[in-house]
Amino acid sequence: MFEWFRTDIIAEYMPLFIRGLWTTLTLTAIGVFFGTLLGLMLGLGKIARAERGPWRWPLKLFVKTPSQIYISFFRGTPLFVQILLIHFALVPWLIHAETGALISGEAALYLKREYGALISGSLALSLNSAAYIAEIFRAGIQSIDRGQTEAARSLGLNYYQTMRQIIIPQAFRRMLPPLGNEAITLLKDSSLVSAIGLAELAYAARTAAGAYARYWEPYLFISVIYLIITLGMSYVVHRLERKYQSV
Amino acid sequence: MRNLWLLLVVLPFLLSCTKKDDSTVATKSMPPELVVGTDAAYAPFESENADKSVEGFDIDLIQAVADKAGFKIKIINTPWEGLFNQLASGDRDILISAITINSERKKVMDFSEPYFEAVQLIALPLKSKVTKFTELRGLKIGVQTGTTGDEVVSGLLGKTDLNIKRFEGTPLALQELVNGGVDAVVADNGVVNNFLANNTKAFKTVADPSFAKEHYGIAVKKGNTELLNKINAALQAIKKDGTYQKIYDKYFGKK
Repeated sequence: MFEWFRTDIIAEYMPLFIRGLWTTLTLTAIGVFFGTLLGLMLGLGKIARAERGPWRWPLKLFVKTPSQIYISFFRGTPLFVQILLIHFALVPWLIHAETGALISGEAALYLKREYGALISGSLALSLNSAAYIAEIFRAGIQSIDRGQTEAARSLGLNYYQTMRQIIIPQAFRRMLPPLGNEAITLLKDSSLVSAIGLAELAYAARTAAGAYARYWEPYLFISVIYLIITLGMSYVVHRLERKYQSV
Repeated sequence: MRNLWLLLVVLPFLLSCTKKDDSTVATKSMPPELVVGTDAAYAPFESENADKSVEGFDIDLIQAVADKAGFKIKIINTPWEGLFNQLASGDRDILISAITINSERKKVMDFSEPYFEAVQLIALPLKSKVTKFTELRGLKIGVQTGTTGDEVVSGLLGKTDLNIKRFEGTPLALQELVNGGVDAVVADNGVVNNFLANNTKAFKTVADPSFAKEHYGIAVKKGNTELLNKINAALQAIKKDGTYQKIYDKYFGKK
């Protein structure tokens, strides 16, 4: 056992693993939170339409089409490519000591130095998950019978009230399983962020593997950690599903 | 349709058979072709170009050595992890891949005379005031995972220090330096200088005398003295007749 599985390597890099686990959880939480916010807006944006009236064309041009393009882009390109694109191209363009379009000077220097990879990593994960969550929202909302909307509107509720009080609560029940899936996927996909030097779980394993040229120990170890968290997450989702099913 | 599938399955076997026949004929009439292994992800020493062939300083050098010594070579891009094993198992006859000669490796393979002197360089932003390695304490340092640069920085700061930012390649670490994500990068001089030559002069380099000099060698299977002697003699010859200098200048410029 100890011949082929050297626990001393794990022990030596334990601080990095613990720190990495924390970063992985942070990344996932940020990704789920902002992904859900942005995803809700995008999902509603994609199905937004006005049958007639002055808003018909502006709505299509400035809400529906951009949402569609956004969702297509982030679902149609690999997350790994998005992470590299955001970290090495988009963020340096926005935040750079000399040429930053958004933030420059000392603040940019400090941000990049201390939080550069974290900013890029969580930005990439949030933007990416938003596209998938948008589709979950869209499908959930569209799965609710159109008669519900018509009934609510004829009762005198406006669009916002209809969505908030009638449609979304019903759709939420149907969206729970895919949302749980998305959160689990996000946790696993956060491992790709190690490519930009952010010290999360996969990074810790890569470092240990690189130093000893041994692959079983670090990667098996983080596999078990990922597995424990994903099993925990699916348990929580399962409980939530049961809770809302009885309503 | 079924016949077509059958054909698709059988065809590769047929092709591989004919290939095998060719090579046995070839070995009888022509000098043997030696298989060279290299991990082609380390420009300018070895990298793969757009049409999937391997190029670089090491490649030109081993070709010149082979020409001089009178054998043919076939270069195969081999991942670093499996490189040393494949030499031991006989799948590769020669390795050239910016391999630093050290006592650990000498136990499992034989090295030629050194053909390149490598040293770790500290790459810094132009404005940086750092003048030596120990001043890097407290700064964010980029390295390539598992390289000599990683080792020396880990030695200075501790292996699990979060100020070390590890990347999968030295060019990525250097790009991070350009973008301001790290304060310094420690890596092999050849790769750092190649990045500088191919990009705007975005940073400066500092050589610290405390870094041990490393030498790259061409490796052969342990005990293959006949081949090793041929390689050493050819290496000597191309250094003398200027071929080495020509290749050196092509990749690293005149010094």
